[in-house]
Amino acid sequence: MSDAVHLQGTEDESNSSKLKTIASRFGIHIFLVALIVMSGIISPAFLSANNISNMLLQAAPLGIVVIGQAFVIILRGLDLSVASVMATAAVIATGLSGVNADVPAIVGVSLAIGAATGLVNGLLVTKRDVSPFLATLATMIVLQGFRFAYTQGAPSGNVPPLFRVIGSETLYGIPYNLMLLAVIAVIFTVVLSRSRFGREVYITGGNPVTARLLGINADRVTIIGYVISGVLASIAGLVLSGYVGIVDNWVGRGFELDSIVAAVMGGIALTGGRGTIIGGLVGAAILIVVFNAVLLFGMPVQLQIIIKGLVIVMAAAFYVRRSN
Amino acid sequence: MLKLSNITKSFPGVRALSGINLEIRAGEIHALVGENGAGKSTMIKIIAGAYQPDGGEIEFDGHRLQAVTPASAKRAGIHVIYQEFVLFPHLSVAENIFLGYERTGRFGLVDHKQTRRDAVELLARLGVDIDPDRMVSELTVADQQMVEISKALVHKVKLLILDEPTAVISGREADLLFARLKALKAEGVAIIYVSHRLEEIFQIADRVTVFKDGEHVTTTEIKNVNREKLISLMVGRDLKDIFPPKRPAASFGKVVLKAEHITVEGRVKSASLELRAGEITGLAGMVGAGRTEMAMGLFGGLPVQSGTVTVDGETFTKMTPALAIEKGIGFVTEDRKGQGLAMQLDVASNITAANLSAVTKGGLIDHSQETAIAKQEIGKYRIACRGPATSVATMSGGNQQKVIVARWARTCRKVLILDEPTRGVDVGAKTEIYKIMNELAAQGIAILMISSELPEVIGMSDRVIVMREGVVSGELNGAEINEQAIMSLATQHTAA
Amino acid sequence: MEQTSALGSFVRRNRGLVVVVLLLIALLIFGSFYSDRFRTTSNILNVFEQSTGLALVSLGQTLTILTGGIDMSVGSMISLLSLLTSGLIDGKANLVVPVAAGILVLGALIGAINGLGIVWLKVHPLIVTLGMGALLQGIALLYSLGPAGKVPPNFKFLAYGKVLGLPIAAVFAILLFIAVALFLRYVRLGRYIYAVGDDHTGARLMGLPRSRVIIFVYTMSGICCALTSIYLVSRFGVGQPYTGINYTLASITPVVVGGTLLAGGRGGVIGTLLGAYLISLINNVLNFMDVSTHYQLIAQGLIVIAAVSIYVDKRKRI
Repeated sequence: MSDAVHLQGTEDESNSSKLKTIASRFGIHIFLVALIVMSGIISPAFLSANNISNMLLQAAPLGIVVIGQAFVIILRGLDLSVASVMATAAVIATGLSGVNADVPAIVGVSLAIGAATGLVNGLLVTKRDVSPFLATLATMIVLQGFRFAYTQGAPSGNVPPLFRVIGSETLYGIPYNLMLLAVIAVIFTVVLSRSRFGREVYITGGNPVTARLLGINADRVTIIGYVISGVLASIAGLVLSGYVGIVDNWVGRGFELDSIVAAVMGGIALTGGRGTIIGGLVGAAILIVVFNAVLLFGMPVQLQIIIKGLVIVMAAAFYVRRSN
Repeated sequence: MLKLSNITKSFPGVRALSGINLEIRAGEIHALVGENGAGKSTMIKIIAGAYQPDGGEIEFDGHRLQAVTPASAKRAGIHVIYQEFVLFPHLSVAENIFLGYERTGRFGLVDHKQTRRDAVELLARLGVDIDPDRMVSELTVADQQMVEISKALVHKVKLLILDEPTAVISGREADLLFARLKALKAEGVAIIYVSHRLEEIFQIADRVTVFKDGEHVTTTEIKNVNREKLISLMVGRDLKDIFPPKRPAASFGKVVLKAEHITVEGRVKSASLELRAGEITGLAGMVGAGRTEMAMGLFGGLPVQSGTVTVDGETFTKMTPALAIEKGIGFVTEDRKGQGLAMQLDVASNITAANLSAVTKGGLIDHSQETAIAKQEIGKYRIACRGPATSVATMSGGNQQKVIVARWARTCRKVLILDEPTRGVDVGAKTEIYKIMNELAAQGIAILMISSELPEVIGMSDRVIVMREGVVSGELNGAEINEQAIMSLATQHTAA
Repeated sequence: MEQTSALGSFVRRNRGLVVVVLLLIALLIFGSFYSDRFRTTSNILNVFEQSTGLALVSLGQTLTILTGGIDMSVGSMISLLSLLTSGLIDGKANLVVPVAAGILVLGALIGAINGLGIVWLKVHPLIVTLGMGALLQGIALLYSLGPAGKVPPNFKFLAYGKVLGLPIAAVFAILLFIAVALFLRYVRLGRYIYAVGDDHTGARLMGLPRSRVIIFVYTMSGICCALTSIYLVSRFGVGQPYTGINYTLASITPVVVGGTLLAGGRGGVIGTLLGAYLISLINNVLNFMDVSTHYQLIAQGLIVIAAVSIYVDKRKRI
């Protein structure tokens, strides 16, 4: 394994392999663009301002959850509790608005629920060595129980008007919730790719043992990752309740899997240490476009789920092949 | 018995084996030697069917083997005992021995009683007393190795391959192993014996083959070579060209680190040591003697039950890696991939990882500064890579190691601990790492080098501390440092 | 190491089993003191009977988890298969046997595809089975958006019938668990399940039939889902596109409560059976205490947390 031999190997890289590198690096972006172009050709209505605005409105809550999920997955974890956090934040928000609480208090309580859930997840994973899958599964179930106990099965109250505006209205055609997503995405992209904490996230996710020997408080970094995921999920729950307009016990159902799927499609490896927020958002966009196209083409809505299933497996297989 | 013709194997970016020809005879013990990374392990894995060669032919027992799989190799009578045992920790000893070849009774069902009886018999043949019902995870390492060997005896083994079998066992257990191997040889079994302990090879081997950088250097009767000749064949140059000259004892400064009565549960029992500025201290001993745990304990990487670490007059009872780094201690770990590198990150991030504060401004990382630092280190240590943004996963072992050394050389102001610094590193990088160690020592840094390679310990150390079974068994200075002295301290029996 | 007593060694190796048995006994004693009605034979038989669906699906799940994998498609598979069971029988008594047989084959087939996907694509079982789950849920909804078909009245015998005073389905479940336990202990393939879960690389170097083991366990999981579906249709009289939705995650609880490590290689099906009884019993006791189902959910979550905190996987890296 001399250096000379090694260097020879790398110099041999031809143009075709460079093309391959580009394809594998930006494959998912190219796929998204191709998907949009094809959908536009098949159905011109797809590219109408109305439809695009509609898609973006739907994309925001998923995007916000994916950002949190990205932190957790890069840290070698998985957060199955996000949908439960979303629904709990939403039912409590409407419940509180029913007793005339003001908006800052509602938002505060909701975020606190998300943060507390994330904290419990993080503590279970780091201090008790529980696998992330089970830890977040357990908090998901517990939270679900609390939610049902709180609502007694039937959520009451209305979605506060401000949430309705943020969740479903647009300014010059740009949805407010998309602006919120953009702000969150920018903040957390900076955190992940530019900040010291972000670097610690990548090192810890890539190898927790190495991280510890480098003097990084791996447990603290991991716990903060889960708290970020919990807080963002509660924000997404409020945004989604604003979009839907009414609240039931299952706001955000399916988001735990959709967010994981989007992250994996976007190149955030389940093995940890790898991936970007932009990648996760591109993954989310693909899901939204596919869902929208299925409806627009007049296909049965159930196909959405089927296509989602196929896309999950194909995307994962694509990345596995690439990393080999 | 076994004939390899023109075997080649490449991994992405690395040519592991090129055009290997080798013949192994029935009833011989054939030693295979070479530096780490010379291709020995790859060769073994190809014979065992764990890797497929890119080209060449394998002929075994008169038949040409094609598309060998681990299962087909086994059926053909090839058994490999890897350095890292292939044992299933949660299965019992008896089950491990017969895994894949279960003793079955009526209706092809597994007969647990018969399995147990046969296991007892096999273990008795090896002259060891191990409870067949114990879970393998509960056994000592030496006993685990005996379980591995007894696996080979389950069916008629024609070729037995052992990869560094004595790395984990002590002298008495090694003698037992050699006796068993000689008995197998007398039965006509061909044995390939991989070891870097040359004295053993002269003790048991009939012929020896030397590998270097993936190529077959020579095969010869053991009586035709001596120790020095063998080393120069493996290394490709004389020993004196590898190690830099030692510095005079007068140049060593005061004690900068003092570890007292360090106890790490089950591994280190109240061990103490002192490191002096500018001195290279070797920490020798058998695998499992507690060297790594001792170093980890004083760095804070493992919890210590008792003991104190004093750095520059400041005494700590609870060391943590963060504190150790802050106090100017660096640690190049033994396991490069598992504990040293962040494999998914690039060269630049790996170099700055131990001291992110140096490149952080207001919580954000200054990427241009980080890149500048990386470029500087790449030049200084001649790290072969395309640039600071190269992923470390694509680099060779030697260059990965240089990245880690560069990382710690930047942050360690007082002490640098290196655990097996040249494992899996080619000769070129090896000499460079030795040179770096020497330069750091010349700058007044105290160096603690853990190593299992005796020539390295002898060639580099100004002082050698030897550990055995968790305690410091002795210390050697200057001219006292030689192979016999180290080995006797490392293996002396309690009776002695 | 010194010799330990046989009992001590048994307890050490089967900590999960021992804990579950102690918990079961404690709950039985507590329930008996709490309520006279709890003590009745009919209530205990009821607990026994109600555990059947969960027990059956968890049986297959135990096997996948023993290999270090997981089957996240069980919920959707149960939804689809139960829908097809009642939809295809559609009240015709003469179709009961062929449809039931067909459902078992279909379950096995879906499971085998899961296994093949994991082996061929080299993708984590979590992802492959999640994908399969979505696929099956979509197909179920394409087939019908609501309850479909019906079954002849005597079909209910499977769920409610009794032999010698014991619920037939629950007895069948016990026999099946014992058969699988014996299989795991006495058949080579069963032993390899543990080996594959204990050490993937080792299994490869040893030349063990790793692919066959993986395809086998997912096939078994599919068959268990088919059995659960048939049982649920018998119990509820009809299949719905969301019948199984809660089973995906619920099926994991008895497995981990029963002491099987999520990382694989250790545990067994008897623990799972007792785990399913424990969950059924807890819900029953909470019912007697007039605790609403909402709090029962909380209790279940807390049990999972407690279970996984007790059986920490020591092999996890430092």
